[in-house]
Amino acid sequence: MKEQKNGKSFSLYKVFVYAILILLAVSIIVPVCWVFMASLKQNSEFYGNPWSLPASFYLQNFVDAWTKARMGEYMLNSVITTALALGLLLVIALPAAYVLSRFQFHGRKIINVAFMAGLFINVNYIVVPIFLMFVDGNLFLKKIGLPPFLLNNIFVLAVVYAATALPFTIYLLSGYFVTLPKDFEEAAYMDGASYSRTMIQIIFPMAKPSIITVILFNFLSFWNEYIIAMTLLADPKGGKTLPVGLMNLMKAQNAAAQYGQMYAGLVMVMLPTLILYICVQKKLTQGMTLGGLKG
Amino acid sequence: MKKGHRRTGFVATCIVPATLLFIVFMIIPTFNVFKMSLYKWGGYSNKKKFVGLDNFQKLLGDTKFLQSFQNTLLLIVIVTVITMSMALIFAAILSREKIRGQNIFRVVFYIPNILSVVIISAIFSAIYDANNGMLNSLLSLFGKGDNPVYWLGDQKIVIFSLAGAMVWQAIGYYMVMYMASMASVPETLYESSALDGATRLQQFFQITLPLIWTNIRTTLTFFIISSINLSFLFVKAMTSGGPDGSTEVFLSYMYKQAYTNSSYGYGMAVGVVVFVFSFGLSAIVNLLTKREPIDL
Amino acid sequence: MKRKLSMALAVTMVASMVSGTGAISVLAEDAKTHEGETLKVAAIETAYGADMWTQVCDAFTELTGAAVELTTDKNLEDVIGASMKSGDYPDVVHLATGRPAALTETLIKEDGLENITDVFDMTVPGEDVKVGDKIAGGFTESSLTNPYGDGENYLAPMFYSPCGLFYNAGLFAEKGWEVPTTWDEMWALGDKAAEEGIALFSYPTTGYFDAFFYSMLYEAGGSEFFDKATNYEEGIWDTEEAKTVFDIITKLASYTEKSVPSNANNDNYLKNQQLILDNKALFMPNGNWVIGEMADAPRADGFEWGFMALPAITDGGDRYSFAWFEQMWIPAAAENIDLAKEFVAFMYSDTAADIFAQSGAVQPLLGFADTLEGDSKLYYSIYDDGAKVALGAFATTDAVEGVSFADTVFGTVNSLVSGDKTEEEWIEAIKADSDQLRAALK
Repeated sequence: MKEQKNGKSFSLYKVFVYAILILLAVSIIVPVCWVFMASLKQNSEFYGNPWSLPASFYLQNFVDAWTKARMGEYMLNSVITTALALGLLLVIALPAAYVLSRFQFHGRKIINVAFMAGLFINVNYIVVPIFLMFVDGNLFLKKIGLPPFLLNNIFVLAVVYAATALPFTIYLLSGYFVTLPKDFEEAAYMDGASYSRTMIQIIFPMAKPSIITVILFNFLSFWNEYIIAMTLLADPKGGKTLPVGLMNLMKAQNAAAQYGQMYAGLVMVMLPTLILYICVQKKLTQGMTLGGLKG
Repeated sequence: MKKGHRRTGFVATCIVPATLLFIVFMIIPTFNVFKMSLYKWGGYSNKKKFVGLDNFQKLLGDTKFLQSFQNTLLLIVIVTVITMSMALIFAAILSREKIRGQNIFRVVFYIPNILSVVIISAIFSAIYDANNGMLNSLLSLFGKGDNPVYWLGDQKIVIFSLAGAMVWQAIGYYMVMYMASMASVPETLYESSALDGATRLQQFFQITLPLIWTNIRTTLTFFIISSINLSFLFVKAMTSGGPDGSTEVFLSYMYKQAYTNSSYGYGMAVGVVVFVFSFGLSAIVNLLTKREPIDL
Repeated sequence: MKRKLSMALAVTMVASMVSGTGAISVLAEDAKTHEGETLKVAAIETAYGADMWTQVCDAFTELTGAAVELTTDKNLEDVIGASMKSGDYPDVVHLATGRPAALTETLIKEDGLENITDVFDMTVPGEDVKVGDKIAGGFTESSLTNPYGDGENYLAPMFYSPCGLFYNAGLFAEKGWEVPTTWDEMWALGDKAAEEGIALFSYPTTGYFDAFFYSMLYEAGGSEFFDKATNYEEGIWDTEEAKTVFDIITKLASYTEKSVPSNANNDNYLKNQQLILDNKALFMPNGNWVIGEMADAPRADGFEWGFMALPAITDGGDRYSFAWFEQMWIPAAAENIDLAKEFVAFMYSDTAADIFAQSGAVQPLLGFADTLEGDSKLYYSIYDDGAKVALGAFATTDAVEGVSFADTVFGTVNSLVSGDKTEEEWIEAIKADSDQLRAALK
């Protein structure tokens, strides 16, 4: 009824809506394509208009970045660190979030509050204290005759990533677990299933959308992270992660810039995230019910 | 009895690893930050001197710190208001209206959020460039080419330029989040209100907004936390706090003091302020936005 | 605490090292005495590239038998800073002061550097000359090498580069403009260029005003005034000389290309340098590394680099060019201090100097600039053409929380250009910080 009465203004409104949506979409697509385009330019093309098209497809940038700037090696490091950190995080955070949201026990409140407070701790100021802690740890290891392995170690880096992601991950997962009805567990217990079996076989599969969200969020933050990685992988000759390698490629004062390689590196950092996102984007919406509706 | 034991064992196994990691890698380092904020230390030598609350007292009289405080606050307010309202509007449009290519828009809008800040800063330095930038080129199409706008050079504008990049980055994320919660608002509510002659706008304010209010409150808290962090990453990558300190924010100032001004303890004092500030602000926002939850 | 500096030195002038102790010759012809030892060297990679460091380290190994573990990186502070916090120090570090991360400055403030005064009494490895006799005068006597002003050296002078104003000589020839020799001529030229839509001035970042500002202090009041100013003497910023310097920089700010502050940061400063190559601005303060930095950049037809000292304040007045140099130092916590000192001494050998020179890095050795050829000759002969050498920097203080003098003095130029701060506000801020720093002088 309404639509018939206001037919004219309605279509105008639609046009306006489309215009805004398209404008925003263009403002995202164009710059992203621009990065791909810039990665094909030769070094001398970077001094002029940044929006000019590349003179030729200079793929050598990727070859140089991959081998000369060791981005290939760093890519492998990044893949290992991210995968390991994600695995660790899920194994540790899922049971913790489940128990914290669905079991009553002594000290539950305190732990919950502590994790909530953890949301306010900013990684940027605890990174050096963590580093200094590792330094002392290494000295201690040396003293008792063990190899000092805490620094320059991508496995330790993965542990730190997982630890610093705990508050947010537990918060997100708990938010989902509380919304599930009690009936499922009760039915499982009636059938004689143990606590762990119930959790793993009944509850976790139901939390799949939430888990996918957690994976994507944390993948993005681990993959793009560079401040912790830069500090904990201090050895210049040792392994680095992709973003740290990228920072090395970025122009530093008084040093000749390698723009082409840098943008090729940017594309290498960006592509895996884009691909993963496109793969899971359908599931993403379902898992994002952060503190969602009641009832 | 046996079951009680099993239960305790299960709970402990689940909770202990997470708690341990959390204590070792977050609680203890944070405690160390608080401790170091009471010392005068350059960061390298063994000469640590306990100075009590001196560092905090100096902060109060440090105009550059106050400026970074002001900038952080300003960024939080404008970025939050713009991002939240735009994300809500877009989410409402995309979930309530019949839009062609709805899915494509949803996918595209989220992309900025998956990009590394390094990439975003590269993009925006090409957009904001004074002489060849996209924004100024567009303006000159409309005949404003004589007086280019110095997006990153004019101290009255640069903070808003940063805010623009931050909004661009965050909008899709919150939009998808709100779309998810709007999807669970029962369709019948809209149908009955449409029968009562409610307009779209009225529906938005009377149905959508109240029903997803809890969700908005939660995102608000997260937004404050992440804005403090993101504003630092953006500043570091785009302006290094310049020109002349006009875009210095909390964490960038902390870095400057702790690592380049040989004042590690002072920097950590800034860290403590950031922690307390984000905690306090979230608490205030939480109180201000408190509404009776609506039960369906 | 006052430094006694004799500054009337041309680089090519002979200077004699005066020192209480006699020459200690650690190493003579019996080379390869350090077989089996390992030296950890960390060097910043600048526009000169990293290859020369590999070659020099190889040459050192060949001479002494000591193995060298070399680290080079464009952001050296990020690489070695973290391990240094953990007590793992390189034995020798080559890293200039004045970098944003200020690692060298931090160590100076923390007394973290080894006293290397005796290095200058050592014999250059593989030669029979004392190190001190090879280094050109003035370099080992400025506050950049004697940070505490007590006559003791903690840093060794490395690659130097005359700083001044760079311009497109081709453009001046084409327009028939005279290159200005005084600031008054500069302003006249600025007005003339403005009519053709060319700005007078550009700067890469405000950090480049250090050399500029120091040279101006010399021009305004000579070395005595410079010493007082860099030691934050009370009332120094209220003097006539200081006012002259502030006035000139403020006026220059008004002649600066308006987009410069937008790009005056580490990520975009090349755009400000590009303004010179595109004939959009006439002059910029810089050092000769800029040529390598902009080697790939497109340029206007007929472009040709030109270089001059700062214009004089009065007709016939002194013109100064700041001799910017990098430093090498030994952390006090280094493990192989003796070997490290030998490495530092080796830097002044002809072998090392030649390797460096091939990449364009010039060691401050007596008469060495005369042996240069081609482009480099133009820059290093500036002091032969009447320009005086400006050397030195602000005196070291204990850390003062919240006060960064470089930001206050140089960083504010961005605000002068954009009009966000006035000259008076600038001077007031400098005076306020100066008071605090004076109280914290080492």
